[in-house]
Amino acid sequence: MKGPYFGDFGGQFAPETLMPSLQELESAWQSIGQSPSFRKEFNDLLKNYAGRPTPLTPCRRLGEAWGLELWLKREDLLHTGAHKLNNALGQALLAKHMGKTRILAETGAGQHGVATATVCALLDLECVVYMGSVDAVRQKTNVLRMELLGARVEIVEHGQKTLKDAVNEALRAWTGDPDAHYLLGSALGPHPFPALVADFQQVIGKEAVQQIADQADASPDLVVACVGGGSNAIGIFRAFEEDASVRLVGVEAGGDGVETGRHAARFSGGTPGVLHGCRTWLLQNEDGQILPTHSVSAGLDYPAVGPEHAALHALGRAEYASATDEDALTALQALCKREGILPALESSHALGWVQQNQDDLRGKRVLVNLSGRGDKDLAIIFETLGLGT
Amino acid sequence: MNHFNRLEHATQTLRETNQRGVAPYLTAGDGGLTTTLAVLHALEKAGATCVELGFPFSDPIADGPILQAAAQRSLEAGTTFADTLEMVATYRKEGGELPLAFMSYINPLLQHGGLSSTCQRIAYAGADALVVPDLPLEESEELEKVCWENRLAPILFAAPTSGDARIQKAGSRSHGFLYVVGRVGITGGSTAFDNTTQEFLQTARRLSNAPIAVGFGIRTADDIRSATKYADLAIVGTALVEKLHYSKDPAKTAFDFLKELQSGLNA
Ligand SMILES: Cc1ncc(COP(=O)(O)O)c(C=O)c1O
Repeated sequence: MKGPYFGDFGGQFAPETLMPSLQELESAWQSIGQSPSFRKEFNDLLKNYAGRPTPLTPCRRLGEAWGLELWLKREDLLHTGAHKLNNALGQALLAKHMGKTRILAETGAGQHGVATATVCALLDLECVVYMGSVDAVRQKTNVLRMELLGARVEIVEHGQKTLKDAVNEALRAWTGDPDAHYLLGSALGPHPFPALVADFQQVIGKEAVQQIADQADASPDLVVACVGGGSNAIGIFRAFEEDASVRLVGVEAGGDGVETGRHAARFSGGTPGVLHGCRTWLLQNEDGQILPTHSVSAGLDYPAVGPEHAALHALGRAEYASATDEDALTALQALCKREGILPALESSHALGWVQQNQDDLRGKRVLVNLSGRGDKDLAIIFETLGLGT
Repeated sequence: MNHFNRLEHATQTLRETNQRGVAPYLTAGDGGLTTTLAVLHALEKAGATCVELGFPFSDPIADGPILQAAAQRSLEAGTTFADTLEMVATYRKEGGELPLAFMSYINPLLQHGGLSSTCQRIAYAGADALVVPDLPLEESEELEKVCWENRLAPILFAAPTSGDARIQKAGSRSHGFLYVVGRVGITGGSTAFDNTTQEFLQTARRLSNAPIAVGFGIRTADDIRSATKYADLAIVGTALVEKLHYSKDPAKTAFDFLKELQSGLNA
């Protein structure tokens, strides 16, 4: 079991009022959460409800165009359309066993909110989702989906009105309601969340290792994933960490370009600090005030990165790069046109980095974690590309 | 008596004489740092036991809407760490003697070369204690050590959710006072001083080595009366910050409001 610290990163920087809830969660995870009966129930849900294992798809046409061997781990095919459901199922099941009746969650792109609303419907739990008003507009269909699933969506109107502010508000709500379970959606926050979320997302990498061995009869040269908080990336990275021949690349949101200051590239534009309960890399000014971020994708538009990534970065085991809004949109169209797959804007950043670096990756076997599907993004895609008007 | 510093002297004196006090909370730089300076002097004149001075943070997760807005206004007005400390130093230079507990979320304290250097600057400017709302016992060891090195009193928290063991630990590691959160939740709103709350405060008083200050949701003289049944100090933040924001003469408002609150002490 990992945590509270990953090297110098992580920890438990939470108000005293929340500490007993965090400790209760940690102990439930270590006892109930490790029991064979819990794991069986979780795996049954992953298989028969969520649709695991997700396929590993070889992309022959696009691979050929880019001069490399491209494989996609298809989290977009998971129920509700993104990897977020793995974690939501695991945590909600744990909360149910802890006797919790109410779930609080934050969401950026709305995928985690939808996943949480979904499992709450399934497991008969009350569900409240906090979402920034900017995100609620740009991911409108996900707001409607959450409401249809029976969740209450609380729109957050302060700060930058995006994911960071939704996390602030969810933490505040939990502080006033410590009997609820806070179902945090990415591998960030105070311990035990980063380790807990990674635990429930590891299934992605465990499947992928086996699938690529079976289908390609080899391991990949690179594993590439987009990094918002870092849950889909850590979910696939962990399985490949021990194999030093595999390059691990996390792709952050480059927004308008890191040089413009309008981005969410924490490793190239930030410094270490503490936000939302953990020590990690942040976008902040010299006084430690958190800076606004920018990304076309709501799910990557966040000023901190999960602490396990900060540790992998410090160790040099994983490298972190960025793709701009434009890179992501270009790759998104390429995947649509060549493979008939519409990726989420978040996942398109991983593809965008591959496309931009195709010359250096010539002939390589590249495994991209396609964390979600892009249906939720149609309005932004059309608007940005000037289509359909 | 040889006390650790000004704050500990003030709170131990309250204890020894079985008196109670009011500790106002201010967001530094809300309305400008010149206003904060004037308000500090006014609060001293009105007889505050000590002041909790909050350095604004962009993402204050333990604060409700009123204190969030105050921090945002202060940051938008350009308040910096350096200017805030300079204001504190000026207050001391002008003869200000109030014990000051400097409140900051942990992240700003980790910048400018790290804890050791920021705490040294805070102490050098003239603050007496440090309050960090997102630093629980599990993470506070280094800060406590640095506080000791700089004669800053480390102030830790106890909450209604804490349980006896944690309250006792926090109470023995705090100096000046133990910050007791009066209610489950963030700042703002109001706290009902019902039997459950009073029992909790009584427990905190019994378990804590340090005097106890109760905060969160204390707004009126009546609240002060109830809050200080067992607590040595009552911290009034949101209500004061709100009044100051709407005031044309913040120093006078601070003085008058503190006097009004103190009327709850003697009943
Ligand atoms: C499809 C998809 N991918 C990735 C992310 C980013 O989150 P993480 O870095 O935790 O995987 C999100 C977040 O909303 C998402 O919806």
